[in-house]
Amino acid sequence: MNAPIPNLSKRQIGARVQRFEDTRLMSGAAKYIADITLPDMLHLSFVRSQVAHAKILEVDTSMLEDLDYPVQVFTGKDTDGLSLKANQDLPGVQRSEQPLLALDRLRFVGDPAAVVLADDPYLAEDAAELVFIDFDPLPVVATMEQALAEDTTPLFDGWTGNKFVERQMKGGDLEAARAQAAHVIRRTYRNQRQTGVPMEGRGVIADYDKGTRVLTLWSSTQMPHLVRTYICEELGLPESRIRVIAPDVGGGFGVKGQVFADEVLIAWLAIQTGRPVKWVEDRRENLIASIHARDHEHTLEAYVSAEGRLLGLKADISTDVGAYSTFPFTAGGDPGMAAKVMPGPYDFQAYEATFRALATNKCPLGTYRGVGRPSAVFSQERLMDVIAQEIGMDPIEFRLKNVVKEFPYKNVLGFTYDPGSYEESLLKMRELLAEDIKAAEASKASPDSRIGVGIACFIEQTAHGTGDFTKRRSPIETGYISARVEMSTDGEVLIGLGLQSHGQGLETTCAQVAADALGVGPQRVFVRHGDTLTSPYSVGTWGSRGGPLGGGAVHIAANKIADKLRLIAAHILQVADPATIQLDENRASVIGDPARFVPIPELARAALRNVDRLPEGMTPGLTEEFSLDGPKDGTYANAVHAAIVEIDVKTGKMKLRRFVVVEDCGTILNPMIVDGQVRGGVVQGIGSAIMEHMIYDEEGQPLTTTFADYLMPLATEMPEIDVHHIETPTPLTPLGAKGLGEGGAIGPPAAIANAVANALGVEVEATPLNAQAIWRLAKATRSEG
Amino acid sequence: MSKTTITANGQTKNLSLEPRRLLADVLREDFRLSGVHIGCAHGACGACTVHVDGVPRLSCLTFAVQCDGAEINTVESLGGDDAHHLLQRAFREEHGLQCGYCTPGFLMTMAPYVEEMAAQDRMPEDAEIRHAMSGNICRCTGYQSIVAAVRLAITQRRNGESTQ
Amino acid sequence: MRPAPFSYHKAERLDQALALLAEFGEDARPIAGGQSLVPMMNLRLARPSHLVDINALDLDTIELRSDHLHIGALVRHERYARESLIAQHFPAFAEGVEWIGHPTIRRRGTLGGSISHADPTAELPALCVLLGAEIIAQSAEGSRRIPAAEFFISAYVTSLEAGEMVTGIDLPLPKGKSSGAFEEFAERSGDFAIISAGVTLEHDGRAITDARVVWSGVDLAPVMAERAGDLLRGKPLSAPEAEAAAQAMSAGITPLDDPMASAEFRHSLIVELTQRALTRACEKAMQAS
Repeated sequence: MNAPIPNLSKRQIGARVQRFEDTRLMSGAAKYIADITLPDMLHLSFVRSQVAHAKILEVDTSMLEDLDYPVQVFTGKDTDGLSLKANQDLPGVQRSEQPLLALDRLRFVGDPAAVVLADDPYLAEDAAELVFIDFDPLPVVATMEQALAEDTTPLFDGWTGNKFVERQMKGGDLEAARAQAAHVIRRTYRNQRQTGVPMEGRGVIADYDKGTRVLTLWSSTQMPHLVRTYICEELGLPESRIRVIAPDVGGGFGVKGQVFADEVLIAWLAIQTGRPVKWVEDRRENLIASIHARDHEHTLEAYVSAEGRLLGLKADISTDVGAYSTFPFTAGGDPGMAAKVMPGPYDFQAYEATFRALATNKCPLGTYRGVGRPSAVFSQERLMDVIAQEIGMDPIEFRLKNVVKEFPYKNVLGFTYDPGSYEESLLKMRELLAEDIKAAEASKASPDSRIGVGIACFIEQTAHGTGDFTKRRSPIETGYISARVEMSTDGEVLIGLGLQSHGQGLETTCAQVAADALGVGPQRVFVRHGDTLTSPYSVGTWGSRGGPLGGGAVHIAANKIADKLRLIAAHILQVADPATIQLDENRASVIGDPARFVPIPELARAALRNVDRLPEGMTPGLTEEFSLDGPKDGTYANAVHAAIVEIDVKTGKMKLRRFVVVEDCGTILNPMIVDGQVRGGVVQGIGSAIMEHMIYDEEGQPLTTTFADYLMPLATEMPEIDVHHIETPTPLTPLGAKGLGEGGAIGPPAAIANAVANALGVEVEATPLNAQAIWRLAKATRSEG
Repeated sequence: MSKTTITANGQTKNLSLEPRRLLADVLREDFRLSGVHIGCAHGACGACTVHVDGVPRLSCLTFAVQCDGAEINTVESLGGDDAHHLLQRAFREEHGLQCGYCTPGFLMTMAPYVEEMAAQDRMPEDAEIRHAMSGNICRCTGYQSIVAAVRLAITQRRNGESTQ
Repeated sequence: MRPAPFSYHKAERLDQALALLAEFGEDARPIAGGQSLVPMMNLRLARPSHLVDINALDLDTIELRSDHLHIGALVRHERYARESLIAQHFPAFAEGVEWIGHPTIRRRGTLGGSISHADPTAELPALCVLLGAEIIAQSAEGSRRIPAAEFFISAYVTSLEAGEMVTGIDLPLPKGKSSGAFEEFAERSGDFAIISAGVTLEHDGRAITDARVVWSGVDLAPVMAERAGDLLRGKPLSAPEAEAAAQAMSAGITPLDDPMASAEFRHSLIVELTQRALTRACEKAMQAS
């Protein structure tokens, strides 16, 4: 825990380096999945269920026989026995499978029951309309309440009820906390179902080479190696003969951070048909049948002392996870995360959470930026405001009194928090909000327009390692990231990175990290990623691990090469101690005597070709690989978010005047990219808070199936986001970096809800806080006026 | 099939097209201009924006047969392989893109806007810039850096810098 | 999400377009900007077998013709703001059209397209009803003028018959002093409205002499406030008692109820937006007098 922070030269690390990937992304030269075409390719169109729950009687493909162009059709009967299996190996879990194509039952609107393959995507879509699914309707499980009802129709044969999983987490003596409490405060909070909506939808292409028996699969995925492993295991192909490539990926946000049944299906189809098969998801499919998110309900009961100390917390957490368990994080992933992180940044030692994942006839729920945390923080931080109000304390003061101040800190569930700036960031935020708080107070007299200020204080467990995943006993199993660093004869550097970069700028930040280690300019470093052939095995890009673990692995592998370069340079320069050689500006020079140097390309050539110049006994070569597992409990980033809102009391129209972030992600690798990640995350979080809502009716029909109905933030409604940093490097990762990709999205629902509550003087218990919701909340305010 | 002559980025092709083929698909497939991105295919995200006779147009709501004789420009023609157009340079400087999928649409929507403001020698308020890009959805950046890039480009144009 | 097959016909002149529409009848749709039709086609919610492209037709004039302003069907939305005739005579129209779509859509979408598409919460149908527009529908048989109030029947349903297309609208010029305003409430800028309220007033410089109020988002077609004139006639511009009038004219109205906006919320917006539009229309009238 107290390992010293490495002394980083920080010439490149920490610099505002412009991104190398930008040129191809802006010139039109990037290659996204839809841009890939192969000779003789078949285009796939899905035949999807239009009902939420039904028994399949027959999939009628007879009308395809009359077409005047060739098509091939496959149904669940053809893929019988193949499925996606995502089960935790724990008591309290009911096992399930998702068939590649529905065989006997349709479980949500969008569930695929057949595919049609044609030479042209327009023709495939035409043909898919001619396939009819004959069915008998089954009772629809459309809500969590229905899933919990005694007479619910189980979604899977052999199940009792509709719980994928129900379990508990606990620590400390809750009864004692309750007994000591001067205040017991209980509330129920709700977050709506939404979806992540990367601007590029998903897509898969598979091609099977009969000669080499190599299957190549392109997928717009965040986790190419895990896709490879799952295909190997389900189709029984040797993993050495499967290559998975994630080309340029147009946003993921966690949506593309699962292995999908269609990836296995399309691999199988390429083998069956002997032709390349391509599927590019359309926007309607993306909205109704890729991955949904959130959909939590929490009941919290807090025990608070007379002096305003939080003594204990009891939580009941339900998540509507839809029709199938997703791979590899499973149905239990989201509610389990909420239960795990609910204690947050606060110092108390009694906690008990019951959490459950409920099966309903809706699109499966999977990972989306924040995973369980935005909902947990919403509940936790709403409750903190409610408690502060109840005991008559200022909300910031109340948090200051209760946040963890001494590190390392072992929380109530046994997780150890590494050093952070919880108190400092609250103090900084209080300073930043002084004027806003005055404006909010002044507006309380107005019958028409109210200003409110709300904060959310939270921590984010990031870059967690194998220990954390082993406990879950879910198919994710581990969390490490690998990098292979290779210097070629000209001194240029090639990195094979196990991450997949889809907007995070890893081609730049990892080049910065390698450049500092190797003394070359970052433009000499070429980062390849997203291809299992060129990158070492890794779990992919998710869970805020790119900077700390990907950057860390690059740092360690590059330093091994640097050590070797120093040895070679010392030998050539006839210096006894290689530690006196520094690598900088593309030279290896003697510290204190810069005139004595060897150009780095010359050292590289010595290592690879003029090996007679190497020290006695040194092995040729300049390739190093390192796999970096995360710390068992992860490293905890922290932040305080603040929303300042202005509400038109009469109509419910809310304007976001300003949004402020004070965050601490440890060592900052590239401040421009960090700010971009924070701001982008915040705007997604604002979407969660105020407008994004995947609505289903009581028959399980999705109502928000286009961008006219599923509303996302546009430029016009979004505020300026003022970002401040505190840098507390962690001793737990090689660069001192903590994860930051998800944090931006975690705070806004809570901060905005608290701001609305502050503006209107009411309690806010649910999102989305759209105009109608605000208008309802403002009812009391209107009648005062 | 309809005979259609389309010029895209200076290259003219005589095509025989099924009328239902979207301009976006024809640019992507027949002209191999994969910088034209399809984000929603129902006119609600702006990713597919191209210039038809100099004017920004949603290529997912345009049938290619409607463009007989038209001059189309896509992002590939804006600043070449090095993306060196003034607005592209401003996007790079201000981190106006992350995954890049919506970016060609933003660039093609906002490049004429930058010219319009420069011609008026006027720096618009942020709200105006945001309104001008309100038909384009970006899911990564939160928009602030795109607004900053547009401001930077307008400033530079007003200072007499060339777009290339 | 690609359209079903269709045949494409490019019309160079109106008579050609009308002949094509006559020939193909129900199976044909005219296409102008395509900003409403093509999304429906891509989603396969609209499947015309024939598209008649009317973009080349000479239907984009805006001009005063004796007692009315004529706006051609092919006028693109971005143009309204540049026409001083519109700002001068139809302030509610000038305000209302500012709410249409996003810039790229506005550059391409047309008056005729928006009216023919008849989205229940679109601005132009509401403005046509508010201003007592006559919609000019032509077919190979001839031309007819349809009062806007009779044109919009339901969501996406108009009184256009097979073979007919909208060629323009005529907005009757206000007879005396007039004013107007338009208020809209949408979740985001450029979205279709949850509720919009348009108001026109005639006045004598001091008091209201007549008034019209139209709402969209209340029903599947724009709704006229039946009692608007009666409630407002004689009210001084300086104190129109807008809130009471808005309450009274919306009493008994039961708006649409859906998951996006309940009837109760919509009703509250009707009152609030009507009141705001009325108040502003009166203020403008006083400033002009």
